[in-house]
Amino acid sequence: MRVVTKTMAVAAVAALALAGCGRSDDGGSGGGSGSGSGDKFPADSLIGVSLPQKTSENWVLAENLFNTDLKAAGFKPDVQFANGGVGEQQNQIQSMVTKGAKVIVVGAIDGSQLGTQLKAAKDSGAVVIAYDRLLLNTDAVDYYVAYDNFKVGVLQGNALLEGMAKKKPNGPYNIELFAGSPDDANAKVFFDGAMSVLKPKIDDGTLKVVSKQTDFKQVVTQGWKAENAQKRMDTLLSGNYSSAPIDGVLSPNDTLARAIITSTKAAGKPVPVVTGQDSEVESVKSIMAGEQYSTINKDTRNLVKATIEMIQAIQKGQEPKITDTKQYNNGVKVVPANLLEPLIVTKENAKEAYANDPTLSKLTN
Amino acid sequence: MDKLKQIFGGDTRQLGMIFALVALILFFQWRTGGLTLKPENVINIFQGNSYILVMAIGMVLVIIAGHIDLSVGSVAAFVGISVAIAMRDWGLPWWGGILFGLAIGALVGAWQGFWVAVVGIPAFIVTLAGMLIFRGANQAVGKSLTVPVGKDFQVIGAGYLPEVGPNTGYNNLTLLLGLLLCAAIIGGTLRTRRNQSKIGAHLEAGWIVAVRIGLICVAIMAAAMLMASGRKGTSLPVSAIILGVLTLVYGFVATRTIIGRHVYAVGGNRQAAELSGVRSRRINFFVMMNMSVLAALGGMMFVARSNASGPFDGVGWELDVIAAVFIGGAAVSGGVGTVVGSVIGGLVMAVLNNGLQLLGVGADQTQIYKGLVLLIAVAFDVYNKSQGRRSIIGMLMKNSGGGGRAAAGDTEGVKQQA
Amino acid sequence: MSDNGTILEMNGISKTFPGVKALSDVTLAVRRGDVHAICGENGAGKSTLMKVLSGVHPHGSYEGEILFEGAPVEFRSIRDSEHAGIVIIHQELALIPELSIAENIFLGNEETRRGAIDWVATNNRARELLARVGLSEEPETPIKNIGVGKQQLVEIAKALSKQVKLLILDEPTAALNEEDSRHLLGLIRGLQARGITCIMISHKLNEIEEIADAITIIRDGKTVETLDARQGPVDEDRIIRGMVGRSLESRFPDHTPNIGETFFEVHDWTVAHPDVPERLVAKGSDFFVRRGEIVGFAGLMGSGRTELMRSLFGHSYGTFLKGRMVLNGKEARLRSVPAAIDAGIAYVTEDRKVLGLNLLDDIKTTTVSAKLKKIANRFVINERSERQSAEEYRKALRTKAPSIDYGVAKLSGGNQQKVVLSKWLFTDPDLLILDEPTRGIDVGAKFEIYGIIQRLADEGKGVIVVSSELPELLGISDRIYTISEGRITGVLDKGEADQETLMRLMTATSMKSRAAERAEAAQVAADTPDTTATDGHAEATAPEESAWTS
Repeated sequence: MRVVTKTMAVAAVAALALAGCGRSDDGGSGGGSGSGSGDKFPADSLIGVSLPQKTSENWVLAENLFNTDLKAAGFKPDVQFANGGVGEQQNQIQSMVTKGAKVIVVGAIDGSQLGTQLKAAKDSGAVVIAYDRLLLNTDAVDYYVAYDNFKVGVLQGNALLEGMAKKKPNGPYNIELFAGSPDDANAKVFFDGAMSVLKPKIDDGTLKVVSKQTDFKQVVTQGWKAENAQKRMDTLLSGNYSSAPIDGVLSPNDTLARAIITSTKAAGKPVPVVTGQDSEVESVKSIMAGEQYSTINKDTRNLVKATIEMIQAIQKGQEPKITDTKQYNNGVKVVPANLLEPLIVTKENAKEAYANDPTLSKLTN
Repeated sequence: MDKLKQIFGGDTRQLGMIFALVALILFFQWRTGGLTLKPENVINIFQGNSYILVMAIGMVLVIIAGHIDLSVGSVAAFVGISVAIAMRDWGLPWWGGILFGLAIGALVGAWQGFWVAVVGIPAFIVTLAGMLIFRGANQAVGKSLTVPVGKDFQVIGAGYLPEVGPNTGYNNLTLLLGLLLCAAIIGGTLRTRRNQSKIGAHLEAGWIVAVRIGLICVAIMAAAMLMASGRKGTSLPVSAIILGVLTLVYGFVATRTIIGRHVYAVGGNRQAAELSGVRSRRINFFVMMNMSVLAALGGMMFVARSNASGPFDGVGWELDVIAAVFIGGAAVSGGVGTVVGSVIGGLVMAVLNNGLQLLGVGADQTQIYKGLVLLIAVAFDVYNKSQGRRSIIGMLMKNSGGGGRAAAGDTEGVKQQA
Repeated sequence: MSDNGTILEMNGISKTFPGVKALSDVTLAVRRGDVHAICGENGAGKSTLMKVLSGVHPHGSYEGEILFEGAPVEFRSIRDSEHAGIVIIHQELALIPELSIAENIFLGNEETRRGAIDWVATNNRARELLARVGLSEEPETPIKNIGVGKQQLVEIAKALSKQVKLLILDEPTAALNEEDSRHLLGLIRGLQARGITCIMISHKLNEIEEIADAITIIRDGKTVETLDARQGPVDEDRIIRGMVGRSLESRFPDHTPNIGETFFEVHDWTVAHPDVPERLVAKGSDFFVRRGEIVGFAGLMGSGRTELMRSLFGHSYGTFLKGRMVLNGKEARLRSVPAAIDAGIAYVTEDRKVLGLNLLDDIKTTTVSAKLKKIANRFVINERSERQSAEEYRKALRTKAPSIDYGVAKLSGGNQQKVVLSKWLFTDPDLLILDEPTRGIDVGAKFEIYGIIQRLADEGKGVIVVSSELPELLGISDRIYTISEGRITGVLDKGEADQETLMRLMTATSMKSRAAERAEAAQVAADTPDTTATDGHAEATAPEESAWTS
């Protein structure tokens, strides 16, 4: 007991000055009523951007763009990564609320584990924008800015069919399916988009999934990890394709696509048609070398630009650009979304697609 | 100056750790332009770290007994997902979920305790295995999905005291708790003084006690008013109340009960303890099991705060927990450490983390600073011990009369007498 | 060369540890090619002297000068002394069990070629060295796979690898059986023939009589005399007289014993080593203790005296094979330390710092630590009673410390021992077993401890005192048992005991071979019914109210 009391004795010195400051029931926190449309705040306000782990080039690029472009637009940016996991991201969002951020952009590690902090943000009057990944099971999210992920899947599915048709005009084609990590809300959307194209073809026999693994839960890749995809591909090949050829593989992103290609090469198989996403440097090289068939260009520049435009609109009290008001139900509400069109990239159109990208344009010559 | 020392109870140096914490708070308060001590932020610090501090309370006992537990993060995650699924699929009420989670924690703890205490495998190995086993169990149970939990359950991690009574501009219950705590302290001190005078022990001067208690009560009320003056609907967070109660209970268990004494004895010198009639296996079993129960509670508090249990919950928590305990003055070799010290150590880390975030320092640099603070805190302890002094926290607890136990000794350097 | 054939001279060596003068003006001269024995009681300063010589205590930490081969030397570390050709083999062997013989021999002194270990050369040289000490083991054999006797020989081979001129052996035969000891002594003779000088510390006087060319006797950190066996034989009695030759008066408080009836009996107590089941550490021991009696146990280190006592204390050592214990007229089965404590037995350990104290504790917590329930209300400790009890015992035993909050680590040996005694008196024991109660304690504190022991006996408690210091046993015991190689070899009443007799009984070695001993152990094990089946509750009467706490 006396230890505690002693602790308190010291705390007293620090806390004395604070005694007597009552609850501030005044404004600032009144406006958290849902739609952010009526809000208007000073043009030099603090804008918080909470990003997930610093794991890919895209996130690093986003960090830089948010910092420079928000500053250029007159805002005070506070961009932070949560390398320590969900707990750290929770604390970061809380800190942004404390600092009085007017808009908080969240690229969630796990979109359904931030409810408490988002509610606090909402209650403080901030506008919450889900960036790239939807925030789930909370009403404290105002907008969603992302590439149209369902469209990504559709494009991947089409590219797969197109690529296989180029190699072999008529079916049936043997294919395998891969999906992303089950804890990423987007993974299912990608997969559903692709299946909206592939399912009819599977049903009519044009496509044959030899392993019969067509359910999302069967084809997921834990943690988006290349090693997991490679292991699964190894198993699929040795179990189902000892004699049969494999014509195509649906891969949700570039990292996994390259792992799948590595696996088929190791098994001594010709490289099948493999889709991808993210326009990673190594995959663009692979496409130019004729191995990976396609990738998706979701230019981070455009996404950041759209986000900042949205912030500017909110600041001025205007209605931001919304392209979808039906699709994205997060479990509590339908989140109005500004969806950007992704672009499919194959060897044919790579040069035009990456013309504006300083790094990738060098690879396509 | 002397009077100041008397008020704070002995040597000013003994309060090093608390002064460090206060200095850190004041530093960030200055650097962030007053954000650190905003009611919302203080509430956040508690809400965002209570689950780690709850586990630190279990960990300090494990470390005092001379062991370590690396599995706390995985156990917390496993319990979190199990509880979330049990409530979703079996329709358990929130209290049923908590009991269920604590029961799983106890089972997991019994499993680890069995290997450590009965089979005699070092805890490092057992819990390294546990780290893998329960991480896998978490993913198997949850199928690597995120499972949301209901509003009722969220209270233990994200809840506040309700608003009752007249509108005073403060959260009334928080103020009431503060007043009760003050009353308890005044009552306790008076009782102790009565007992002391009964057995003829040395009594401190009345004015010193009065000033000290006055300061303490002012501090408590200031803290209570601070947290009561946050946004409407907020108050002293429920998670902080859980933490406070556990700190008091375990502080008491560690210093004032037979089992607590035995934990220190086993960690200080196992052979001597056994030859004094301590059943060291039971103690080892107890600390390991208790740790897992508290890890279960911590895991549930995190899930409640996150509104959902995710597949990557608990990754790396063991490091934060262990760091808190060592900053709080525990020794790697066992036998030394205090519950309150560990909580203070954890708060130092929490305030540091929070302050750096408020300053907008990146996660990369934050980790570097945290690493350095851990190293410096422990190095300072080691230096003090090599000078024959007690660890900061040790010194702190020592003179506070039974408040805690650490390397006993004196501050005047190692002097062997003939 | 200072002298024809003197290899080593140590002149006026003094060494002080904090609070204790371990060596005071010691002189030692060793002739080249001799086997020179150093004798003295435990704690006389033999090992300290050898540590000074080998650089373990570096130059500057002692006074006096060392001349080696005629020249003054100032060793700052073991490396320095080994470089000069002085190698010490410690009582506790410094071999690494998991490494091979060859690796151990060349540890820190590896045979290398271009930076890499040359295994061919290493093993070849190791084989040569092993041959010189009469071992035919393969150099690759792990150390843990060979017996203690052979390990001792490997240590000597290791010394030979270092071009040793002067070999120091600290109790080389303490852990060896008769057969291995003989072999080792033969080897020492062989080394002598090659011109290697040996200094040997030993308690086994028969061995010294047999092998030593000169004997230096040290007592209380001072050189008593050097006996030259080349001038004529020196017998054991002569050595013992030198070792113990001091008056025993005035070292012990006056005491008239008041001895009551027998209340503690042990019959046929047989215990095996915890790790080596075929080695018996107590072999059918029988003895008894009467109320108010101080019973001494005399035995050399490794004789099994501590093992016997710890085994009696709730089977806290070894594997119990058979035996009966009768306490206060009832058979007592005490299978755990808590049971023993509840039954009224207290055991004060031989090694205070390793086994007796938690050095992190203070006086108050230590005092109550062996019977917390006495001051606890169910689970919660009453701090007031804790302070009161600790204060009471501090006053009763006159422990010198600023307060009961003072850390035990900072106390002197004598006061630490008083705290340990407090802790055990706090448990209200009927029988107190004190293992080396005055080791490492200065004379004044010893006198006080003896006084405490006598007061305890006068209260009607039985006290067992185990000690290697014969004067101490003779001074305070009413009756003395001797113990050797796990066997009780005799019992003497106060009147009939003297040091020579005791020493003879303590060194009485059975000539039984290892094989016979193993067969005996196997026989005992086979005869013993399952000892783990019954539970461990004490069947003793409640301890009486003690004057110490009233």
